[in-house]
Amino acid sequence: MRQPEVRCVEFVEQVTQWLEGGLTDEERLLFEEHLAYCSPCSRFMVQFRQSLALSRMADGYMRQGPPPMVRAALQDAFRQSRR
Amino acid sequence: MLRVARSYVATREAAEDVVQETWLGVINGLDRFEERSSLKTWMFRILVNRAKTRGEREARSRPFSSLETLDLLDPRVDEPAVDPSRFNTHGRWAGYWSSPPSVAALPEDSVVIAEAGERLVAAIDGLSPSQRLVITLRDVQGLSAAEVCDLLQVSEGNQRVLLHRARSKVRATLECYLDDRAGGA
Repeated sequence: MRQPEVRCVEFVEQVTQWLEGGLTDEERLLFEEHLAYCSPCSRFMVQFRQSLALSRMADGYMRQGPPPMVRAALQDAFRQSRR
Repeated sequence: MLRVARSYVATREAAEDVVQETWLGVINGLDRFEERSSLKTWMFRILVNRAKTRGEREARSRPFSSLETLDLLDPRVDEPAVDPSRFNTHGRWAGYWSSPPSVAALPEDSVVIAEAGERLVAAIDGLSPSQRLVITLRDVQGLSAAEVCDLLQVSEGNQRVLLHRARSKVRATLECYLDDRAGGA
């Protein structure tokens, strides 16, 4: 029989599914109930969300844009398409 | 883009070539671009196709060495989100934290945030090719789950598993960073 409860070890595996709306209604309720009463797991969730936010920002570190030669070609292409 | 290309090809040089080719492909194909997908998704589609072709060519010329870089987008091996030793294994509290995350959260300090960001970028670079690919497209580039599944030809379930494993490792890196800061202060 399935335990009518989410334990921490299961909670940490379901975070992405929860964030993506991939849990069933019953699973979601159990997940949210656990989140409400378990403070270590809510700290886990804060860190999870913070690392997500940092990944979004990582775009800034990663975005190098097109290399100069390509950038010039792009500008040319745009100029021509406007004509 | 380099990060995505690197998931398919063996060297940084090859990845740079692929990125260059992609930009040229974007320029040449602009007329054919249909508004129904975003420009970004379309660009990544070109990138993934070119990188895949290149990776397959490499794999053929060196049959044993670069199989690993092709890394099947199939998360068969079970990999927990958190080190299992951090949970109790016996008694009433089996499955609950024995070594919970510390209270530390990221402070609103731009220097600290930038430093943590650098660690996270390094962690993303250190992921397996398929995990790196999925987290880069989803969380860094902001594509939707449906777009990524379509682009990489993976099922929704596999996409989610890869994403969760990647995110879990990135979170663990943040936790380590926060613990180091708290310990070192």
